[in-house]
Amino acid sequence: MADVILKNVRKSFGPIDVIKGVDLEAKHGEFVVFVGPSGCGKSTLLRMICGLEKITFGQLLIGNEDMSDVEASERGTAMVFQSYALYPHMTVAENMSFALRMAKTPQSVVEKRVKRAAEILQITHLLDRKPKEMSGGQRQRVAIGRAIVREPKVFLFDEPLSNLDAELRVQMRVELSKLHNEIGATMIYVTHDQVEAMTMADKIVVLRDGVVEQIGSPLDLYMSPDNRFVAGFIGSPQMNFLKAQVVDGTNGEARVSVPDAPDHILRIPLREGAQVAPGQAVTIGIRPEHFLGTPGGAGLKVLVDVVENLGGIAYVYGRTNASQEVILKAESETPPRSGMAVTALVKDDYCHLFDDQGRTLSTSAGAIRTRAAAA
Amino acid sequence: MAEITIMTDHRAERSVTFFRKHKLLIMPLVFIAPAFAMFSIFVIYPIIQSIALSFTEWQGIGPKKWVGFNNYRLLLDDPVFWKSLVNNIYWLVFFLLAPVLGLFVALFLNQNVYGIRLVKSLFFFPFVVSQIVVGLVFAWFYDPAFGLLATLLDPLGVSLPPILADENWATFGIIVAGLWPQTAYCMILYLTGLNSVNPEMIEAARLDGAKGWRLLVKIILPQLKAATFIALVVTVIGALRSFDLVAIMTEGGPYNSSNVLAYYMYDNAIFRYRMGYASAIATVLFLIMNVYIVWFLMRLNKNEKGAR
Repeated sequence: MADVILKNVRKSFGPIDVIKGVDLEAKHGEFVVFVGPSGCGKSTLLRMICGLEKITFGQLLIGNEDMSDVEASERGTAMVFQSYALYPHMTVAENMSFALRMAKTPQSVVEKRVKRAAEILQITHLLDRKPKEMSGGQRQRVAIGRAIVREPKVFLFDEPLSNLDAELRVQMRVELSKLHNEIGATMIYVTHDQVEAMTMADKIVVLRDGVVEQIGSPLDLYMSPDNRFVAGFIGSPQMNFLKAQVVDGTNGEARVSVPDAPDHILRIPLREGAQVAPGQAVTIGIRPEHFLGTPGGAGLKVLVDVVENLGGIAYVYGRTNASQEVILKAESETPPRSGMAVTALVKDDYCHLFDDQGRTLSTSAGAIRTRAAAA
Repeated sequence: MAEITIMTDHRAERSVTFFRKHKLLIMPLVFIAPAFAMFSIFVIYPIIQSIALSFTEWQGIGPKKWVGFNNYRLLLDDPVFWKSLVNNIYWLVFFLLAPVLGLFVALFLNQNVYGIRLVKSLFFFPFVVSQIVVGLVFAWFYDPAFGLLATLLDPLGVSLPPILADENWATFGIIVAGLWPQTAYCMILYLTGLNSVNPEMIEAARLDGAKGWRLLVKIILPQLKAATFIALVVTVIGALRSFDLVAIMTEGGPYNSSNVLAYYMYDNAIFRYRMGYASAIATVLFLIMNVYIVWFLMRLNKNEKGAR
C-alpha cells in the first residue's frame, strides 16, 4: 500500500512562505491532480513529495513511513519532468535503466524491466535511439518509461504534457489514464490546465497561493465548488459571475435579484446552515450551459459581442445592461449574431451564490443530483 | 537610336540573369574573399616562406645560400634543440592540468549565491592580464630574497632553491605560472558549458540515485564534451607555442634549461642572425602542431556532420 499523506506541510524560501500548511491524502492507486494558476505552489508541493525540495515544516508519509527527511532517491517515487529531462548522451534503453544501474540491480532484472516498460509504452523499436533523434511525444514516453522501470510506489508528473501540441496532448491524456489503470500505482499529477484535471483525476486538489482551496472529485468541484475561486477555475468556458442583491431568504431558498433586470427574481437553494439577509450584496455564479441565450422574451437582456460556434454548441460572449460581461450557451444551428440582443434564460436551481468573501452559500441542483446518483 | 536602346536593354537583362542564376555560388565567395585574402597574405604565405627559408643559410641581410637539409641535420646534433623539445613535452603534459583544474573551479563557482559574479570575474582575471604581467608577477613571487613564496615558507623552515635560477626547477616554475591564466580560460569554457546543462536533468539524475562523483562522471561530464574538446585543443596549442612567459621569466636560462622550441627559434633568429636555422626549428614546431590541428579539424568535421 502506498498512501501519500501530507500533514500540515509548509515550505518557506527565506521569508517567503510558498506552501502554507497543506493537509492532503492520496489513497493507494488514486490519480490525484494538483491544479491551480501559475505560482500557486503546486510544483513546489510535488517537488517536496519527491524530495527535491526540503520540507520546512510538517510531515510526509508514503505507505505509512515518514519520508520527510529521506533522500530523494529512496522515497520510492519517480518523477516525469515537463522538459522530460532525458540524458542526451544515452540511448533510450540506457536512459530507462540508469536508475537501476545506479542501484546496482542485476543485469537480467534490468533488461527484463526495460523490455516490459518499453512494451507497455510501445517504444521497443526506439530503444537504441538517442533522445535528439525522437519526437516530443516519443521523448515523453521515454520519460514515463524511465519512471515505470523503477517500479515506484508513487508516480509524480510535473506538467508532462505542456510541451506537446494540442492533438498529441489529448492522445497522451488518454494513454496516461490507461497506464494508470494498467499499473494501478498512486499517481500525483501537476497541471495548470483544468481540462487535464477534469478528465484524468480521481481527486482534484485546487491550490491558490500555497493554500488548498478545495479537494474533491472532478464532478464535486464542478457541481459544488466551495468558493468563488474554485468555481471560476474549474470549467471552460468560465462560470459567469453577476453582482446581485438578496431580496429575502426563507425555507432554505434565497430570492435574489440582478440589478440589470430588477424584476427578474431568481430562486436559489441554500446550503445547510447558510444564512442570507435581505439587501445583502452577493454574487451569482452561472455556468454558460445553464445560461441560455434565447431570442426575445422577458428577463435579463444581453447584447451579443462575439459568437463562437463550435458546431455542436455555440458560445455567446456579450454584455448585460449594466455592462457585466457574460458567456451564454446558444443553439448552434440558429445562433444569434453579434450586435443582436438576446434574453438570457437562467436555470435558477443550477445557480451558485457567493457571499462577499467568496464563500459558497448555495447548493445547486447539479450537486444534489450527482450526490443522489452516487448514493 | 531605337536600335541602341534595344541593345542596352538586352545587355542589362542578360547580366541580371547571370548574377541571379549563380547568386548562391557568387555571394559566399564574395563574403569569404576578404578573409581569405588576409589569411593568404599574413598566414599561408609566411608559412611557405619560412619553410623555404629553412633550407638556406641567411643572416637576415645579404645573400641566401641554399644548404638543403643541412639545418635539419644540425638540429639533430643540437643538445639545446633536444632540451627544448623535452621541455615542450613537459609543458604539454603538465598544461593538461589546466582543463582539470578549470573544471573543478567551474563546478565550484557554478552556484547561485550572493556576490558569485564578483568571485567569477576574480577567477577570470589572470586570463585578462597580459602574459608579460603574469610572468613578472610570478618572477617576483619566486624571488628567493623578497618573494612571497620564500617569505611564506621561511617561517616553516622550508627553504626552496631559487626556482627560476635552478636548472632543474626553472621549467616547472614557468609552467605553474602558465597554468594560472590557462586554468582561468578553461574555467570560463566549462562555466559556459555548465550553463547550458538542463537543471531538470540533474534533478532527474538525483532522483535516479546518482550523486557526487557518479553524477559528475556519468551525467554532467558527457554534457560538457564540447567544452572539454575546446579546452584540450586550446591547452595543447598553448603549451606548444609557449613563448612569452619563457622570454620574460628566464630567457630560456639558466644554461638553456628552460628553453622551449618557440623561444629557441626566436633566440636564433633575433640574437644570432641564423634565420635558416630558426626557420628549421619553426618548421619542426609547425609539424608537431599539425598533428593536433589535423585531429582538431577531423573532430570538428565529424561533429558538424553529426549535428546535421
